[in-house]
Amino acid sequence: MSSSPAFELAGVQVHLGGRPVLDSLDLRFAAGDMVALIGPSGAGKTTLLRVLNGVIAPSRGHLKMFGQDPAELSEARRRQLRADVGFVHQDHSLVPNLRVLQNVVAGGLGHRGFWSSLRLMIRPARAELLRAHQLLERVGIGDRLYHRTDSLSGGQQQRVALARALFQSPQALLADEPVSAVDPARARDMIALLTTLAKEEGWTLVASLHDVALAREFFPRLVALREGKVAFDGPPQDLTESAADAIYRLDG
Amino acid sequence: MAKAPSMPSAPLAPSRRTTILFGLALVAILSFLALGLQWGQLLPHDGGVEIAGNFFAAAVQPAFTYEGSDYLPADAPAFLVKVGLALWRTLLYAVAAISLALVLGAVFGVLASEGFWQGRRGGAAIRLLVRWFMAVLRSVHELIWALLFLAAIGLSPAAAVMAIALPYGGTLAKVFAEMLDESSPAAANALHGLGARPLHVFLFGRLPQALADIAAYAFYRFECAVRSSAVLGFFGYTTLGLYIRQSFENLHYREVWAYLYALLILILLLEAWSSQIRRRFVA
Repeated sequence: MSSSPAFELAGVQVHLGGRPVLDSLDLRFAAGDMVALIGPSGAGKTTLLRVLNGVIAPSRGHLKMFGQDPAELSEARRRQLRADVGFVHQDHSLVPNLRVLQNVVAGGLGHRGFWSSLRLMIRPARAELLRAHQLLERVGIGDRLYHRTDSLSGGQQQRVALARALFQSPQALLADEPVSAVDPARARDMIALLTTLAKEEGWTLVASLHDVALAREFFPRLVALREGKVAFDGPPQDLTESAADAIYRLDG
Repeated sequence: MAKAPSMPSAPLAPSRRTTILFGLALVAILSFLALGLQWGQLLPHDGGVEIAGNFFAAAVQPAFTYEGSDYLPADAPAFLVKVGLALWRTLLYAVAAISLALVLGAVFGVLASEGFWQGRRGGAAIRLLVRWFMAVLRSVHELIWALLFLAAIGLSPAAAVMAIALPYGGTLAKVFAEMLDESSPAAANALHGLGARPLHVFLFGRLPQALADIAAYAFYRFECAVRSSAVLGFFGYTTLGLYIRQSFENLHYREVWAYLYALLILILLLEAWSSQIRRRFVA
């Protein structure tokens, strides 16, 4: 892999609906970095993740994904950059009435040609079927291969989304509040799984988490956002209790 | 914050709701007055009572053979064969028309949907154009289309099929587009985010979620097409409507009821078929 960082933001500003959501962000995520994004709701965590995914263009400033600025590329090349970034959404973002199998192999849509993609979704080859099953085994729900996706629990659907990202075999994985919908014990399991997979796959991992204790426990680097600005960037031991409180403080 | 937050606008207050309901009732009453409606006219009087009595009495004893054989041609088929053939032709017209309408509806419904144009350029103009075109097709009722075709090219099966297919295609396209856009965009956004092509985002992120509704609605419109096809008989096409009219004019009410029951049975069969297919979609 090249030595360029996975993501690099220089003076990135994002306005959504005329409102500034992100304000002059300068951030660098090296290849293989494991980062937890923390901060109060509305601080811009989801927006930052979508910028990193290349689906929102900065209003000002520059983004580099794997050393390339998507704004300078054709849509076809931008699509290939996105194909190298997996995303686990807060609401899973799976197609509810397709089978688990189809949602998993959908991860391959970005890397394939037009017809190959159609065949993958409609009639996956035996090798693709085996791979999908194996990935589901890896996230702990191998027996659900042929189930309708919406018949699974929220936590299981989260694992399907993770299997889809594995099938995609990206260079980086972004996760938006991956455990907001599960109980604390399952949340811990899920973060443990996510960070283990990231290490095994060599992913750059950026995950937003509302649970600061989980973030401290599993991630070597925390980035805190507050009102669209970076309020903290460093290892968890440098984040003092009072600093953490200040990040989440409600302003009058 | 730069400016003071503005007061949120209140949802419909109870007093406002009452005003609206009252207004709607007033509009209804005004329309009755403008039409000079007299509900008493619904009750038959004079000779009408006897005609109505005969007609509804015939409902419990529909004909199985011709009611009067005086003017029957020698080679006339048995009555039930005639009913069966009329029903069969009614179904054929409906199948041909809905097939064309489904093609129109699918193509233009997709083009009119917002989801199809996600990640593409030029969607807004084409969508507007398609929606106008579909509105033109469906603003003319199938009976008026039939009249236009009749005037332009005469009594041909193709004209009857087009008369149904055009307005139905317009309606299907509008409703299909709405169903496609009602489905949650989350999955489509995710597929876009992982680098899928716009067509695949639509085919696999949007379409599957709308498919069950689309199929159910297509079935419902097929049922409507069967009724429209029957009514086109009034213009001289050899569907149920033609024979219903002829029997009615000859005061053969029991024959009329036989045709109506035949239509009812056909609609019920279609209903059973469609609910079976709908169950498979849900499972």
